[in-house]
Order: sequence, then C-alpha cells, then structure tokens
Amino acid sequence: MASEAPETDKFKVHKLSLKGSAKLVAEFFQYSIHTILFQRGVYPAEDFTAVKKYGLNMLVSSDDQVRAYIKKIMSQLDKWMVGGKISKLVIVITDKDTGEHVERWQFDVQILAKPKSKSKSKSKTTTSTADQENSTPSSTGKEEQPEKDKTEAEIQSEIAAIFRQITASVTFLPQLQGDCTFNVLVYADASSEVPVEWGDSDAKEIVNGERVQLRGFSTQSHRVDTLVSYRLVD
Amino acid sequence: MATASVSTPLKSHAGLFSSRTAGGRMPLTPSPIQRAAALTVNSSPFTPDRASNDGHRVPSKSVYGGNLAAHFAKASKNHRESPKSNIARVVSTPRKVLELGVSNFTLTGTGAHTKAPASPNAKKPVPVRKKTSKTKLTYNTDRFIPNRSSSSAISNAGSAKIRIRQNHQRPRSVHGDASSILSSATDDAIAALEGLNIDDEEPVSYSRPSPSTVAYQETLADACGVNLKTRILQFKPTPPESSKPIDLRQQYNRPLRPANATSAQFRRRIATAPERVLDAPGLIDDYYLNLLDWSSNNQVAIGLERNVYVWSADEGSVNCLLETSPDTYVSSVKWSGDGAYVGVGLGTGEVQIWDVAEGVKIRSMLGHDTRVGVMGWSKHLLSTGARSGLVFNHDVRIAEHKVAELVSHTSEVCGLEWRSDGAQLATGGNDNLVSIWDARSLAVPKFTKTNHRAAVKALAWCPWNMNLLATGGGSYDRHIHFWNSTSGARVNSIDTGSQVTSLRWSPHYREIVSSSGFPDNSLSIWSYPTLVRNVEIPAHESRVLHSCLSPDGQMLATAAADESLKFWKIFEKKPGSGVGIGSAGAAAKADRPKMMTIR
Repeated sequence: MASEAPETDKFKVHKLSLKGSAKLVAEFFQYSIHTILFQRGVYPAEDFTAVKKYGLNMLVSSDDQVRAYIKKIMSQLDKWMVGGKISKLVIVITDKDTGEHVERWQFDVQILAKPKSKSKSKSKTTTSTADQENSTPSSTGKEEQPEKDKTEAEIQSEIAAIFRQITASVTFLPQLQGDCTFNVLVYADASSEVPVEWGDSDAKEIVNGERVQLRGFSTQSHRVDTLVSYRLVD
Repeated sequence: MATASVSTPLKSHAGLFSSRTAGGRMPLTPSPIQRAAALTVNSSPFTPDRASNDGHRVPSKSVYGGNLAAHFAKASKNHRESPKSNIARVVSTPRKVLELGVSNFTLTGTGAHTKAPASPNAKKPVPVRKKTSKTKLTYNTDRFIPNRSSSSAISNAGSAKIRIRQNHQRPRSVHGDASSILSSATDDAIAALEGLNIDDEEPVSYSRPSPSTVAYQETLADACGVNLKTRILQFKPTPPESSKPIDLRQQYNRPLRPANATSAQFRRRIATAPERVLDAPGLIDDYYLNLLDWSSNNQVAIGLERNVYVWSADEGSVNCLLETSPDTYVSSVKWSGDGAYVGVGLGTGEVQIWDVAEGVKIRSMLGHDTRVGVMGWSKHLLSTGARSGLVFNHDVRIAEHKVAELVSHTSEVCGLEWRSDGAQLATGGNDNLVSIWDARSLAVPKFTKTNHRAAVKALAWCPWNMNLLATGGGSYDRHIHFWNSTSGARVNSIDTGSQVTSLRWSPHYREIVSSSGFPDNSLSIWSYPTLVRNVEIPAHESRVLHSCLSPDGQMLATAAADESLKFWKIFEKKPGSGVGIGSAGAAAKADRPKMMTIR
C-alpha cells in the first residue's frame, strides 16, 4: 500500500497538469475566437466588452447568442483537449455573399507529454510506416523537444504576445469587404467521439492565400502555433 | 497511375468522387476506416460506377466484355511499369485477382452489370457485387489515364495502403460471403473485394456527405505530414447573425469612449440669460396659486392681484382682460386648448370663462366655496381644484356644468394636469398626495402616491411617453418623482435641493425643466432618463412661482415673487430646424423695448 500510494499520486499529479494545460489551451482558444471576431469585425464593436486577461484588455462578445454559440463550441473543445484528440483548431472567416473563405486562423496543437500513451503509440505504429515517407521531418522533430518547467507567468506572457500579434495583424491583413461570418473547424483524431453538432468538413483553405506564421506558446504538455492565411486582394 | 484512373468515377457527385477514388484505387478503402458510418458512405461510389458505365459505354457493353482481357492485360502491364513501387503493387494485386473473377463474368455476359445476376460460380449474392467491382475495375482500366492528377493518385495510394492493413485487421466479418467466395485470392485481393462489396451495398445510404473530406484530408495530411487519422470537423450550427453591417474602417477609427451627450461636441448650448424681462407688479407671492399661462395662440395670461393681463407675444401688446370685484382676487388662470378662452379662478371659488378676442365674460361657474387655485382644460372639460381639496369637472357647454367631483385630497389642491390625450388626470395637493385619475372612472383615483413629503404643485406629463408623469414636491420635499401612470410605479427620482414650484418637459429634447423656490430661485434643466442636470440658471431674485412653455416649446416664461416675468430660450431648436411661433414672437419682441410693463 505504502509503496503504491505515492505512485498513484504521481500519476494523478501528472494527469492534473495535463488537464490544466488542456484547459489553459482551450481557454486560449476561446479568447482567440472572441478576439478574432472583434478584430476582424465579424460582429460590431459595440457588442464587445473588455475583460482583463493575460494582462491585457481582452474584448469578449457580450451578445448572448454569440456567447452561447462559442460556449457550445468550447464545451466540446474542452473534452477533446483533455482527451488529447485535437491537432488543430481553425477559425475560418467567410464572405456571406460569395461564400468565399477570406481568412483562416489556424492554431496547431501539439501534445508534448502524450497523455494516452497507449492509444497514441498504437496509432503511431499503424501509421508510421505508411506515414514516414510523407511526413515532414519537422513535425516529428518538434515533438521531441518538449519545453519543460515553464512558469505560469511565462506562459501567460507568451499568450499575451500572441494576442498582441493578432491585434496587430489588422495592419497587414486586407480589409474584409462586406458581411462576413465564421466557422470553427477542428482537426480531431479519427477515433474521437463526435457529437451531433459536429460534422466532417473540408479544410476550407484559402485559395491562393498568403500565409503568415504568428507566435506560439507552450505549456508543459502542449505547444500551440498560430498561423493566419488570408486572401490576397488583387 | 492505373489506380488513379480507377478511382475517377466521373459521374458521381464530387463527394462521392473522392471516396470512390479511394475505393477504386485501393478498392478497399473506405469502409474499414470509417467504421460503421464509413460503410454507408462508401456505398455511394458504387452507384456512380454504374452511371459512368452507362454514360461511356452504354453502347459497347458487350464489346467491353470482350475486350476485358485485353484491358486487364494492359492494366497489369502498366502497373508493373509504373515506377511507384508501393502504389503499383498494392493496386496491381487486387487487379489480378479481379481479373480472374472478371473473366468469368465476362463470359457469362457482361452486359447486365446492374443485375449482375446469377453468379456463375454459385457465389450467391456476392457475385453481383463482384461483378460490379469488376466492372469498375475494367472500366477504370479503360479510363486509365484519367482525370486524376498523378499527385492525388499518389497520395491516395499511400492512404490506400493503410487501409488495406486495416482491412486485414478487421475485415471479414463484414462480408463473410464475399471473403469465402474469394478464398482463392490473396489477402490483398480479398481485402480489395471486400472494400468493393461494401461499396456496392452502400449506395443506398449516404448518411455521410463527406467523402470529399476524406480525399482532402488525405491530400492535406500528406502535404503536411500529419497523422492521417485525423478528420476535420466543423461546428455545424451557423453562427448568429451580426446585429448590423460593419465597416471595419469605422471600427478601427472609433473613439475609445463612445461620444455621448456630455461630450463638448454634442452638448447643447443653453442660453442662460433671459430673452426678455417684464414687470409683473402685484403678483401674489403664493405658492398655491397658478397665475401664468401661455396659450396656443401665443398669448400669455397672467393674474396680477385682481386683474388678468394678456400679453401678445406676437405683437408685444398688453391688454387688461378683466378686473375682479374688490372683495376677491385672481387665484388661477388657464387657457383653453384652442387659445380662444381663458378660465379664471377666483378667491371666492367662482370660475369665470372669458372670450379673449372679444374681451367679454362668457359664463361664471359656481360650486366651489373656497378659492380655486388650479385649473386644467381637456377639450370642453374644465377641471378646477380648490382649497377644500375638491376637484370638480365642469362641462363648459352645458348649464349643469358640474359633471364630476373628484374626491381624494384632504387639503388644498395646487397642482392639476390633464394628459394630452385626456385619458388621465393628475392632481397634487397640500396633503402631499399625488393622485392619478382615469378619466373614465373618477370615483376614486387610479393611483394615490404618498412619496412626496410636501405639497405637490408641479406636475407634468411627458410629451414623448404618455405613461410618464413627473411631479415635484415643496420645500420640505425637494424631490422630483417620475411615475409610470399605467403601473403606478415610481421609475425615477431627483433630489433637486430646493422647493419645486413647476415642471415642464421639453417637446424637442429629452429634457425637463424645473423651477425652484427657496433656496435657489433657479431654473434647472435635467436630461431624462439620465437625470443629469444640464444647466442651472439663477433665474430670479426670489422664488419662481409659475412657469409655462411657449406653444412652440422653445421658450419658457417664469413669474417670480420678485414681481418680474422673464422669458428664457432654454429649448431653442437648432438653427434651420423650423420656425415656430416663438421665433416669430422673438422677432417681434426684438423691435420692442427691452423692459415692458404689463400694466
């Protein structure tokens, strides 16, 4: 017993940190969605109120419908994050009139400390041989350099830097014309459970888009990279 | 390459296309990956095949059969030649197997692929499927070079491989028949067939729309070197509509703080000097009287002791309308709605109605035995409030003029105001009560409000909100209360800091002006509903007793205990926003001497 207890304890601690990290990332996503909706004018500025977060004034929609919509997304996202099922979150801004995707914000999530080592490794073996030739070295390379022991404050400041970049990005992003709407895509593990509100989709890539890599941040268990692609104005 | 061609399924919808490709190419593709759901999806490809056959080959079906062998041979050759070892291999194997099956079929009769009927091999239902699969393959071989880009083919091939593996793992259960039939074939072949079979079945159900997704996913995944097992999910509900169209430029330029009424740019300039000052000698300094009124014909009536004077704002002329008998005095004056008559209340309780144009008294109405301190018209109805606390309604058209007696106040009634539509009447008295009456049932007040702690003389109905009544209390109270006259609820309050002697709403601005007695003797203009005091004008040297608005609503006249009558342009309309009587009056006044004695 005595020997067992500490072990389970350790396990728990580990789990919790992963969970906490997942939560942190999910929260980051939530604020990202709000920020992008505000910065890109998907909803009118009056609908947003400032909230202190990450040492910044984050603008969060105060429209009940929008909040409820994002909340629904987040509730599922949280589950997926904790389960380590997500590799990307994408916010696509679409022109309402033409249906053209005009802007695409992509957040790549890497899980550094593999949570479900079993399932992960399994899938690895299945795919690895087939995959290897196609996979770029960079992706595997990244996974091997987990950043450890970051303080909460460091992570927060990394996140704040991302939001500053998102805010600043309005300076180079083309001005969106007309009414726009948005969609949230998730690149989920094929084995993950999919609630009814979610359905398969294409990647909604920007045709002939320009891409700009923004900053990323990492926690003990996750690394998140940000990429925005947008349609070039002719 | 050959594989690629297989997949091509021209006719199918785009969605099917991809899935089918997978199926064709790696024949097997789909179902295994997708699990149950996948199965259904895959089915679709089948249909397309048929269609494609029809379209292309309809005429030549029989021929087709004959050529099959050749086709296959070609196909196989091609495969071998193809440089991509992996892909070629995978693809090729199944083909060979199929070839065998195909040949059988062809012999039997290629033509009826749809029904594919009797399997020569006694394979039961399977044959049909087989056949279909066969057809597909052959077909594909024909098409061969097809529409697909080589790159896609490659990527597909990669995925195909994986799928095959998967098939191996969990395959046979799905189609026992098929597998048994094909026992002779290699594993790969079996897998391939299974995949095909599955495909065939699926046409029925399309539950999954996303075959295209699969293809995209694969391409994308390959491109990015990402795990192939991910799927892209979209949150399907449509996001809420934006409440209004947005101009981003505006958004970026928007001021940090929304411009509101208090910002300098938008603040209204209110003239704080009187427009005109007239003497009003003999004005009785009594809070409970109402001695000043401005008619819709732009005439101001004022009661000065025993006289009523009418000052024409248009002409600046003054007329003495009447002089009472020496034993009494004028306690209230009120213009009728059309501005033709003025009601005059006397200290004896008598009420007289005068025709101003003619300068003659039309009638006297008796009934009150105490002074009539306040009156109000509603069309032909004249309501009079007396010191006794009684309010009478007089129908001025009929001999028996008293049509209602409103009993509520126990002390002198000093405030009385009809709502503009005549549906409600508000009265205030020295008993600190505000009573709101429904014109249809005057037996009891609809509401009696006891919040004021002093006499209520100032009453005003809001011109833009019929349900809103403002009432102001005397020196011990100093409050303005705002009431919802429908629900009886108090909706707002202001502590003015001094006795409230009158209240007037601006018809143009969301503002209300209050006149003050002790200690300020001022006029205050309040924004409503923010209740911000926009300006306070030190108006008179002693308490302001009465006030009234010009018919155009721009000018306020005040009479005070300092025996002066002052005109204030506090609600001036912005230039160019229309010319009212007031402005005409002002113009006329401009010609006249600044000071003018009414007498």
